[in-house]
Amino acid sequence: MASRPDNGDQRDWVGIAIKALSPVVSVILAVLISSVIILAFGKDPVAAFSALIQGSFGSMNYLGETFLSAVPLMFTGLAVAYGFRSGLFNIGAEGQLFMGGLAGAFLGVIMGGMSAFIAVPTILIAGAAAGAAWAFIPAILKAKVGAHEVITTMMFSYIARYFVSWMVTGPLKAPGPIPQTNLIGAGAVLPKIAAVFPALQMGRAHMGLLIAVGCAVLMWFILKYTTTGYESRAVGFNPLAAQTGGVSIAATTVKALCISGALAGLAGVVEVMGVQGRIFDTFSSGFGFTGIAVALLAKNNPIAVIPAAILFGALSAGSSLMQLEANVSLKVVSIIQALIIFFVATEPFVSDWILKRRREAATHAE
Amino acid sequence: MLSDVLNPDLFASAIRMATPLALAAIGGTICERSGVVNIALEGMMLIGAFFGTAATLALQGTSVGPLGAVWIGLIAAVASGALFSLIHAFASIDLRMEQVVSGTALNILALGMTGFLMEAFYGHPGSTDAVRQTLPQVFNFPAAAANAGILGTIWTWINTLLFSYTPIAYMAIAIAIIGQWALYNTRWGVRLRALGEHPRAADTVGINVRRGRYAAVVISGALGGLAGANLALEQVGTFTENMSNGRGFIALAANIFGRWTPVGSYLASLLFGFTDALQIKFQLVSSTIKVPPQLFLMLPYVLTVVVLAGVMGRAVAPAAVGKPYEKE
Repeated sequence: MASRPDNGDQRDWVGIAIKALSPVVSVILAVLISSVIILAFGKDPVAAFSALIQGSFGSMNYLGETFLSAVPLMFTGLAVAYGFRSGLFNIGAEGQLFMGGLAGAFLGVIMGGMSAFIAVPTILIAGAAAGAAWAFIPAILKAKVGAHEVITTMMFSYIARYFVSWMVTGPLKAPGPIPQTNLIGAGAVLPKIAAVFPALQMGRAHMGLLIAVGCAVLMWFILKYTTTGYESRAVGFNPLAAQTGGVSIAATTVKALCISGALAGLAGVVEVMGVQGRIFDTFSSGFGFTGIAVALLAKNNPIAVIPAAILFGALSAGSSLMQLEANVSLKVVSIIQALIIFFVATEPFVSDWILKRRREAATHAE
Repeated sequence: MLSDVLNPDLFASAIRMATPLALAAIGGTICERSGVVNIALEGMMLIGAFFGTAATLALQGTSVGPLGAVWIGLIAAVASGALFSLIHAFASIDLRMEQVVSGTALNILALGMTGFLMEAFYGHPGSTDAVRQTLPQVFNFPAAAANAGILGTIWTWINTLLFSYTPIAYMAIAIAIIGQWALYNTRWGVRLRALGEHPRAADTVGINVRRGRYAAVVISGALGGLAGANLALEQVGTFTENMSNGRGFIALAANIFGRWTPVGSYLASLLFGFTDALQIKFQLVSSTIKVPPQLFLMLPYVLTVVVLAGVMGRAVAPAAVGKPYEKE
């Protein structure tokens, strides 16, 4: 049995097919299981999912809402994916997002009167920098003493939430009863897609979408063609081999987690400049955590993050119509998310198993 | 002013706040000692808190009465935590899935599932109905008379520090001590440690790695569920959405600070519990001392990072933690 070499071509082809199909199969399985749950509670899953699709892709306006929800998820998805590529689990993107948003809200008021050509890029950079800075301490602690980033970035997430909560109830509070910052000035606002391209009347969707897509392409380029990207991937793939090859694990770790934090920070600042115009306590509906699901579904490929984020954006945009028309709770969306993560993550096991079966079948046939 | 903060209530409050952390941390200890990382303790707490509350609410109007119902609720919490953890066991042991990924999926699932069921059962988001009876204080000794002088003060300290707790707080202490003893003095303990240090060697001498790890994950789930019961059925009296609030992650830090031992985990949790208690006391006086309450709310999280930073590099994790084991 051992004497027969593997049929290399065939194995590769099957392996690639499984890899490519697994996200699609995962989504289908997750939808099927959540349908059973919806059915078990006496609701109509067909009505629920058709309302969900209607509410996310049914009109230009709904499509705009889908893109609106997808933008922060693209950024956080890229953030988590960049971490994963470097062997780091940035579970605290939520906190970096809040800090990026806070920087944007703060500068957006100060610079709001300036020309958009100066204000917009400056504030975007500041938001990214704030996110990177928030990831810096966990990064240093990981690199220097090995404190696990899952715990430290998570703790920093809570600290950021309370910090923002303090800022919006105290030093940066706008006049009035609601704890929030002042509205940013006109120069700091990201224009709506409909305003730039009159043919695309997509409601509230804003130009942050282009920035997010641009970041995905940039990240793909960095990972593929730059030394930074190569070192990140090397450390993520096999830290000891990378170190033997002369890559500093510590420096690469710090750089990678800061880049990840910068992307999460962009999620926050773009949300301020494009959607909310300010920051407040409940500013993010868990974008940082959904970003984990986005990254896993995209298998940490930056280009694949774009459709993955649109899928989760659609789930979140369509869920309100689903609740309204089919009377199914929004919470189903989290259940779908969790199931997708599970199924995508079982892919290596399933493909191993299938390949083993095929090999056994081939040996028996002989 | 100082006596507003520094009094026996503060220390008793520290033990109360430490209880859910300690239970989850000991769960993390046992799980990691077997070689499996469990970042889903957060979700297991939520599941326990929810099903504990749901069982109590369902039964409190029946013949078991409100008190019987809340005890059954405790059992339901433990059982649901253990059942939920089976998913993590299956994913990380049998499917050899990345353990932090499985844990993350479970945390999201727990949050979504409890939120979904809460709306389905009780018709309103945010929280469930309140239970009629929480788990009662175990001892009820009379307070010192107002004119009892120094003896009265001493009795107040003893009564508050030793006898003012609800059942799960005592259980946590007992579990820490029994767990510590068992880890180092029983066959189960030796085998558990072998699983996390060198599963191949353990396998060679005939220990069933898969079964041992399954048991450890399920025990951690049961302890997570018990921690949830403490939050919902002792501290609050209702289930509120995301009521674990990061405690599962703080517990993992406590486990590391406690050097992967049950008593160590308990003592580390006590430190976090004390910070939490202090934070609550400070909040009460925050308007008079003009410090924003959020700064106090941050304290336990800041402390967690500081402690991790200080202790890492010197604390050594079980060698095979996080690595799936494949039989040859």
